[in-house]
Amino acid sequence: MYIQILKNYISGYVRITVEGFFIERFINLCLKKGILLWNSKRKKATLLEVNIPVKDFREVANLAKQTQNKIKIKSKKGVPFVAHRYKKRKIFFLFLCFIIIGILFLSNFVWNIEIVGNQNISKEELTQSLKEQGLNIGSFKNKIDTKQIISNMRLNRNDLAWIGIELKGTNAIIKVVEADKKPDIVAEDEYCNIVATKDGMIAKVNALNGTPLVKEGDIIKKGTILVGGWLEGKYTGTRYVHANGEVQAKVWYEEKEKIELNQTITRKTENVETKYSVRINNFTINFYKTLSKFQKYDTIEENKKLKLFSNFYLPIETIKKTNYELIEETVSYTKEQAKEQAVNRAKQKLEAQIGQKENIVNVYINYQETEEFIEAQVIYEVLEEIGTKEKIVF
Amino acid sequence: MRKSKKKQNRFEELLEIPKEISSQNPKITIMGFEELFVENYKSILEYQDFYVRLSTHIGIINVNGFELKLNEMTNDDILITGKIEGIDFEKIVDE
Repeated sequence: MYIQILKNYISGYVRITVEGFFIERFINLCLKKGILLWNSKRKKATLLEVNIPVKDFREVANLAKQTQNKIKIKSKKGVPFVAHRYKKRKIFFLFLCFIIIGILFLSNFVWNIEIVGNQNISKEELTQSLKEQGLNIGSFKNKIDTKQIISNMRLNRNDLAWIGIELKGTNAIIKVVEADKKPDIVAEDEYCNIVATKDGMIAKVNALNGTPLVKEGDIIKKGTILVGGWLEGKYTGTRYVHANGEVQAKVWYEEKEKIELNQTITRKTENVETKYSVRINNFTINFYKTLSKFQKYDTIEENKKLKLFSNFYLPIETIKKTNYELIEETVSYTKEQAKEQAVNRAKQKLEAQIGQKENIVNVYINYQETEEFIEAQVIYEVLEEIGTKEKIVF
Repeated sequence: MRKSKKKQNRFEELLEIPKEISSQNPKITIMGFEELFVENYKSILEYQDFYVRLSTHIGIINVNGFELKLNEMTNDDILITGKIEGIDFEKIVDE
């Protein structure tokens, strides 16, 4: 039923008014002939409004004459009538064609490069090396040989474990897995020493295999051999072994922080100005004066690429620049405040360096005071494991 | 005559043919108070804004209401929409 009505929307239908005294007879005759009537409405006792398919109009008109009813067309609807109305608007169609062709043409290029999965390698670096391989914003999609690019990228860069290129619409999604550096593991059957990784003072030596070369209280530097990978026996002579053991040492971390008593601080005010511009490929159109009305300001730039649907990026970017006004203020601290601030900052920096806080044994704080500034020196004494295995090279 | 009709009925029961196809009885479906769907009707006898009269093979269906519209008319089914107030039937009495 609905399908039939829908079919008539496409092939066209007319809404007619039928006027006369024999409307029921007219309806019955129409139905007997197999003409579909829908959405009928009785306006008055002698007036009926009804939709009929356009192809049956002639027959309906005949039937109306037979039953002595008058028939009038109220409105014409459906695709053929709409098409007829737009026949005169040639320029409109021309531009519609232009737009469609333009979109089809633009969809053959890559307009956006999305890089996923990078942590240590910067996006700029990757896009640069992709550009060298021929994948760039604005390059023709058919010319991009993804397999070739992938293999070249893998050859040129050894910090990539895997790379995948997916072209979706005008969007190139590049998935990257970074390669970790291999840790040097010394095999069990090879000879090795245990060597210090940091400067410090030995707190405990526990050699399971090998000759301990340092004792508690020794001050060592980075690279000193802590446990030698050999054993000396009275009768056997020197014999090389795979050294094994645990060496703990107190390691000092030091951080200096200088705070001036009279500082100039830049602070954001609430004054903000926003400026817009549009960039088409590399051509920028500004909608503002380049000079800002503020003397000092921070600029934050936001770029937004226009896209159709989810993956069809166009080579048009809107840029929103927001300027925040800055004010310089001089702030003076008392000595106590300055000290506290300096120590806090230094501690924060140190704690970022040290993994575990529980291993901190001692904290030393020294101050250096002058008229202009206060310098705080914070030293953390941390108990740490400092030995790593190093292969003996003969 | 009667016998043959009975036989036919049994045969149709066996095949589970729906009644609205096998017999010429109209099937009347009412959705809520605003939609009435009649299958297997013969013709429209009267159609006014407040009153629709349909003839079927076994009698006449009268529909009372307001703003009644005939939607989707075809040769054997019809959908009446509007504020339906009441439906009654007039049976054709056989001689």
